[in-house]
Amino acid sequence: MAQPADAANIARVIALRAGIPQSVPAVTVSRNCASGCEALTQAQEKIRAGQGSIFVVGGVESMSNIPLLFKSSTAEKFKHVARAKSFGQKARALAAFRAGDFQPRVGLLLGLTDPYCGLNMGDTAEILAREFHISRAEQDAFALRSHQRAVAARETLAGEICPVFPNLAQPINGHRPGTVLQDNGPRENQSADALAGLKPVFDGKTGDVTAGNSSQVTDGAVALLVMTSERARELGFKLLGALAGYAYAGCDPARMGLGPLFAIARAEAETGLALADADLIELNEAFAAQSLAVIKGAASDEFAKRFLHRNRPLGDFSADKLNVNGGAIALGHPVGATGARLVLTSLRELQRRDAARALVTLCVGGGQGAALWLERMSS
Amino acid sequence: MNTMVQEAESHEFVPRVIPPPEGRYLHRTVRDDGICVLTFDRPGSTANIFDRATLEELQHELDFIESGQNITGLILISAKPTIFIAGLDLRQITEMTSLADIGELLAFGQAQISRLTQLKIPTVAAIHGAAVGGGYEIALACDYRLATPDKVTKIGLPETNLGLLPAWGGATRLPRLVGLPRALDFILAGKTTSAQGALRLGLVDQLVPAERLVRAAARAIQKGKSHRPSHWLANNPLTVAFLAPPMRRRLFQKTRGHYPAVLKAFEVMSGGVTRSVSASLALERKGILELARSESTHNLLRLFFMRERAKKRVLNDSMPRLEPKPINHTAVIGAGVMGAGIAQWLSSRGLTVVLRDVNTGQVAHGMAGIAKLYQDGIRHHVFTHRDARDGLDRIAPAPAEVPLRHMDLVIEAAVEKLELKKKIFQKLDELAGEETILATNTSALPVSELASATRRPERVLGLHFFNPVHRMQLVEVVAGQATSPEALLRAVRFVQRIGKLPVIVKDSPGFLVNRILMPYLIEAGILFEHGADLEQLDEAMLDFGMPMGPMRLLDEVGLDVALHVAQTLAAHFGDRLRVPVILSRMVEARVLGRKSGTGFYLHDRKMRPNPPLKAFVQSNSAHSLTRDDLQERMYFLMLNEAARCLEEKVVSTPEDIDFAMIMGTGFAPFRGGPLRYADSLGIEKIVGAMEILADCGAKQYAPCVLLKQMASDGSKFYPNP
Repeated sequence: MAQPADAANIARVIALRAGIPQSVPAVTVSRNCASGCEALTQAQEKIRAGQGSIFVVGGVESMSNIPLLFKSSTAEKFKHVARAKSFGQKARALAAFRAGDFQPRVGLLLGLTDPYCGLNMGDTAEILAREFHISRAEQDAFALRSHQRAVAARETLAGEICPVFPNLAQPINGHRPGTVLQDNGPRENQSADALAGLKPVFDGKTGDVTAGNSSQVTDGAVALLVMTSERARELGFKLLGALAGYAYAGCDPARMGLGPLFAIARAEAETGLALADADLIELNEAFAAQSLAVIKGAASDEFAKRFLHRNRPLGDFSADKLNVNGGAIALGHPVGATGARLVLTSLRELQRRDAARALVTLCVGGGQGAALWLERMSS
Repeated sequence: MNTMVQEAESHEFVPRVIPPPEGRYLHRTVRDDGICVLTFDRPGSTANIFDRATLEELQHELDFIESGQNITGLILISAKPTIFIAGLDLRQITEMTSLADIGELLAFGQAQISRLTQLKIPTVAAIHGAAVGGGYEIALACDYRLATPDKVTKIGLPETNLGLLPAWGGATRLPRLVGLPRALDFILAGKTTSAQGALRLGLVDQLVPAERLVRAAARAIQKGKSHRPSHWLANNPLTVAFLAPPMRRRLFQKTRGHYPAVLKAFEVMSGGVTRSVSASLALERKGILELARSESTHNLLRLFFMRERAKKRVLNDSMPRLEPKPINHTAVIGAGVMGAGIAQWLSSRGLTVVLRDVNTGQVAHGMAGIAKLYQDGIRHHVFTHRDARDGLDRIAPAPAEVPLRHMDLVIEAAVEKLELKKKIFQKLDELAGEETILATNTSALPVSELASATRRPERVLGLHFFNPVHRMQLVEVVAGQATSPEALLRAVRFVQRIGKLPVIVKDSPGFLVNRILMPYLIEAGILFEHGADLEQLDEAMLDFGMPMGPMRLLDEVGLDVALHVAQTLAAHFGDRLRVPVILSRMVEARVLGRKSGTGFYLHDRKMRPNPPLKAFVQSNSAHSLTRDDLQERMYFLMLNEAARCLEEKVVSTPEDIDFAMIMGTGFAPFRGGPLRYADSLGIEKIVGAMEILADCGAKQYAPCVLLKQMASDGSKFYPNP
């Protein structure tokens, strides 16, 4: 996630402004796309270690507020202007600027590029589309399904949406936004034709990954209240669910989209819970190509043997369990918030279906995967 | 002797106490560098004030400083955490019976403060906390004024609000410091401002953190005496001659001659600025002696003491001795104008507020209204940007049901419908915690009936805020039949804590303020129906000293709201209160006052009478009444209803009524409230005049039992003036 320039520890700013007492510490964690999961799993670790019994965890991302940046050579020139004393020095310093100095570096793009392998996230999705033989049509169909499910689930999802009444005392980027009552990502009128008509974004000549079959750039925030079941009983809270186990795993940064496969395998090794045990699965839709590659990889004997070092494949992502309320292609992927949002959505859906267990899994830019097993509490 | 160490010490300015500290109110230390620090520290009090004894000590200290050989400068400072000097002890003034005594005390104080300006050494007022009235006037007599930027630091000359004028050199020295126009603006409005505001206006020279006040003051002393010339452009005789006459006219129009202190302050300041300082000081003394004689000043001073009492009031002896649990977490049910107004006020006072409404759009509308109140506050320097942000952050908008278990107080501010409110109270009863107080902001519905919809009526009461919430200081705390003394005390403390003024009233129709106001407003409507001129009606009451005429007020309140209150009252009071037909006909025609754009007036760019309303005029019988006749008829009804409230023990004392009417409706403050005014007119005379009107068929004028009885035995509401 992109750390805001004006809030070095955004968690502390949020905690204070939310009225959490000053004496309660706050920390911002980052595991890129799985930061929302990281916040939750760290809370569990701390509770287990006896470091506190109640935590507010979550995630936030305002991708519309990620600033444009100057190149460091431009910044250097600004520094000379600021240091210049005499008029002559100032004039000389100003004269050093060239038009090219003012071409901004887009913070959003920088954030979505892996500095290690030098690839944009979309490029990594293109690699998966090629290597797993995922057609443009398959990707678009996956994207369309995401929209259809999200639109159908509007009412269900409304229950987890807290209307946002922006603090109007502080204009945001000079304008005063109105009340936000629902997700603005899902498109009622999304058609297969419209998706098919889009140009590829990352590989303009031969690519298949378009704006339509990628997750949306979105603002979003989510908060979860986490505590031990004893504390919840004491304070009279009803429990939504519990975190039964989790695992993070690393993989090739250029194929970061496969991260879920590695994480699910590790989680299975640690908890004994396999893909087949899930009543519901939330697989973050970073890209349709990436999600489809995960689905194919999970079913593949060869992938299991070569990369997961096991004899049997992970299993099936059956369509009636997977992303039943749509995913990031329709709802958006506010990077810092998504992990915690998927946890909330899956726990509420478990309750709605009166089902027992859900798997939340995400790929993570930089080559990681996260897999969280959640259970409904029998109260 | 180690000179090195000594030098280092003198550099650090280690204070050396010079005995004897015989002073009770003032402590003197003379530092090694010769700077004398006079610390005001009234024993056994959180405030410093000027009374006879303090002034005498100041005289003694000035004697010492004048005779002292090695004193290089003087710093005035306070030892109190929130008050520099709060001005003259007003109680001492009101206890003085002879004018000569008052004159003598004032002249003595003026003389001591003026001596400061004649000292040969530089003088600095190091202000932390409130410096108001005489407390700022002594600072004005210094060469330099430093202040801390803290919230507790306030600079003000509120004398005209009390019917007085700043007569310890304030009216003389402020115009010389900041120019006559700015000084008039400050003193005539009786303003008090923040440290930042004071710096902007030039009332102080510099803002300094409290810990560095003395250090900065010592540095200012090193600059030597200040030789600030009077503002030559603003204060020369020509400018004054040019500016004064139109300003005098405007002032007279605005006050309608009711506030002699404002006019007197104006005369003293505009007259004094072109004269010598001593001549100007003489004008101040003369002015204040004239004011001390006026009834208006007495009433304004009484009002001041009533406010002080309301801020601290303890309930009567039957009340629990234990201080109740403070209220920090609140919820407001209903995000309309009142709900949003209450939520904004509470959040601005540091309380958290859940703003709940079933209608999401209404929540958004309420939040936008709250944001606007904060923005206006920023514009008027009431809030900083951060105050506003924090205030808004403390409000949690809730378009869905939320648990209220941890709330200390829930205030219901929904639409005025009894059945709806009862349902809300049933629900609140379930959602709220054991210790949550449930309050209604109803202006007319019976609190006890709402309470009976809950399982625990003892924790239900009324908290009636007035519109607009951020400006109206009064809150009626309504005790239902079952309300427990604990809950009542907790509510009163809450009202005091949020900076409002509570008045405890019995649960009866219209409570206190609306009940007394309504017959008056209705009478205005009836008089209009009978041919009285719209603007004459309003002018008559503006002349009386009301802040707004009755017809205009009806428009502002909203005719539908007024009709609802009027009908509720009429249902209880029978033919004593007759709702004029015109009100219901206007409401039927959706002519609702300001909110609909048309009412008795048309509310577009310039307010003017609404011509089609002539159609509602039924007769001409009131057409020939003079302004004075109209005025008398209208205030008679207020006086009568006020007396009836006392008769029915809606409140316990006449002060409560007078105070509530002044704070809740702006009832001419200089008249001291309806009952004080009745006393000053003579009750026998009023009863006589009312009976004549009643005999002519206007039954609403029949004086109440209490008035008649008082007329016959010649008693007064306030036997001891």
